[in-house]
Amino acid sequence: MRSALIGIVFLCATHFAPGQSMFRGDPAHTGVYAGIAPRQFHRINWKFTTDDRVFSSPVASGKVLYFAGDDGNVYAVDTDNGRQLWKHATGGPAPSTPAVEGRTVYVCSYDGRLYALNAQSGALKWKFVTGGERRFEAKGIHGLQPKNQTIADQFDVFLSSPVVIQGTVYFGSGDGNLYAVDANSGEPRWKFQTGDVVHSSPAYADGALYFGSWDSRFYAVDAVTGKEKWRFQAGEDPLIHNQVGFQSSAAVINGVVYVGCRDSNLYALDAATGKEKWRFNNEGSWVITSPAVKDGKVFFATSDSSLYRVVDAATGKSLLREDTKAYVFSSPAIAGDVVVYGVLNGTLQARDVNTGALLWEYQTEASKANKGWVLTSERKFNGPLVFHSPWREAATVAVDRQFNIGAIFSSPLIINGIVYFTSTDGCLYALE
Amino acid sequence: MRVLAAILIFSAAICNAAELTPGRWEGVVNIPDRELTVVVDLDRGAGVAWVGSITVVGLDIKGAPLSDIVMKAPEIVFSVQTAPPPRGLQATFKGKVDSSGMLSGNFIEAGNTAPFSLKKTGPPNVEAPPRNTPVAKELEGEWKGEYELNGYKREVTLQLANQSQGAAAEMVVVGKRTTKIPMDTVTQEGDFLSLQSRGMGMNYEGRFGKDSQEIKGILGQGPIEIPLVFHRGAAPKTQPP
Repeated sequence: MRSALIGIVFLCATHFAPGQSMFRGDPAHTGVYAGIAPRQFHRINWKFTTDDRVFSSPVASGKVLYFAGDDGNVYAVDTDNGRQLWKHATGGPAPSTPAVEGRTVYVCSYDGRLYALNAQSGALKWKFVTGGERRFEAKGIHGLQPKNQTIADQFDVFLSSPVVIQGTVYFGSGDGNLYAVDANSGEPRWKFQTGDVVHSSPAYADGALYFGSWDSRFYAVDAVTGKEKWRFQAGEDPLIHNQVGFQSSAAVINGVVYVGCRDSNLYALDAATGKEKWRFNNEGSWVITSPAVKDGKVFFATSDSSLYRVVDAATGKSLLREDTKAYVFSSPAIAGDVVVYGVLNGTLQARDVNTGALLWEYQTEASKANKGWVLTSERKFNGPLVFHSPWREAATVAVDRQFNIGAIFSSPLIINGIVYFTSTDGCLYALE
Repeated sequence: MRVLAAILIFSAAICNAAELTPGRWEGVVNIPDRELTVVVDLDRGAGVAWVGSITVVGLDIKGAPLSDIVMKAPEIVFSVQTAPPPRGLQATFKGKVDSSGMLSGNFIEAGNTAPFSLKKTGPPNVEAPPRNTPVAKELEGEWKGEYELNGYKREVTLQLANQSQGAAAEMVVVGKRTTKIPMDTVTQEGDFLSLQSRGMGMNYEGRFGKDSQEIKGILGQGPIEIPLVFHRGAAPKTQPP
């Protein structure tokens, strides 16, 4: 009987039902949601507007959506009508997806703190101070000038999203640590130091945390002790620091870790040993998206090559390849036979899971306005008008323009046939 | 009566249009939320053909040559292509000169269209496109080099040959695949050799060493700069590459 109970507890801890209360749905970050997603676009149910860009993805608990904005606020919004229930100010932009566990919302902010808020009222329960936030940076990154000047990476857009397991909150920080903090008190349990910024979100499976760092290593750490189980070295790029680092968060399914890397590979690693099972190379194009895994297939998308891809989970063999027209940082979300993801050109794309056929698209108003002709008439990035100089602040201005067209960085949340997502136009959308 | 009115309106429209005369035209293109300052120089060439150049402030375009200049009064059309898309600006101006002397119309780029308006500010000063220079006899022929990028070795063959309009050059880079890179601009100043391929966004700047019989330089493509040394390959060819 005891062994049967242990077995049940073990199953609960390792095989999560599709969830909606943390980044990518569940602690293993499968990106798979219960129910169905719309195969046709019908309408915008409602739109909720904040004061600044939003990179955070929405999560839900009951009838409440939670997300955070670059205006520094954490928001609670009614799923039915988009009415604001509460907001709580943090001390900096908050491009972190909250996690909801019980009656508490956990979220990171650029003020270098992890916040625990009452899910019903937004009242502060506690906050945990890290060693401080910063973006990944390097000399002459991406070939920007002057090349001996340390420059922050404009594309390091997300903060780590917490994962909550058995009374402990786990999250990464710009100070290079993965932290384990008591979910009730905010007291630290342990921290694990990596070689650079950690803005990916840890995935949890079988008592271990799996996450990558901007040091271009991927780590497996014991969830109880914080001791390293193994590490995997991905690509390095000492020349221009372009093909290096983990921004993608892993999905862990059936003993395999699937994770994208800026070295342009999607990796499949053995969760027990860290041994590489296969890699899928995207020829210089970053894999920022966190992969979704369902029915033996891995779903992800790329940046520069602007491709939506499906590969075989066992072999890494390419199964589908579709043009997304622009960079994808948004992680695909699957519900039923539909996969949904956002594109940096300000469109949300829904595709058939099996065929890859485009079912529908939604374009934000900011994308339609196409200020500064950031986009071509085909909604591709308009290179000559966006990136015309690597000198001084030109690249910063270019990226700022690029992000200013209602780009969708968030990973969609799908509940009961309704798709929730955020955009850099400052809005949270509910579509069906 | 209606026909007469139509004729009068048509005649007025014709009267309001004026022919373009050589000159410098300055003004703006009003794309949404961004104003591009433009300077266009248009002149008649040695024959009857028009020549021109354009500067677009803020887009790193200075004195780029205009192409496909067509004057069919009252309409004026000209284009600019700084490099093949998607890297370079490829745009077309379609406009008319009105009776007040303004050249205005539509600016078409990447499938988008926006109004432009230019005013004549003086005589033309068309910038001549960069011309290839001849290279020294000792540089002609085949050169071999190699470099490593992201852990992969690439072998490079450079062909240089003099032609009537200056030198021509082509690089062939063999790595995982073979890429032929014709060079748009080839110049030699003293010991310095400069090559540029606008299509590939690639350039090479090297210095010829008479003693070492090497060309030591830097290959650049976008953000990447890699040392590349060429050694003598096969004997100089008499045919252009």
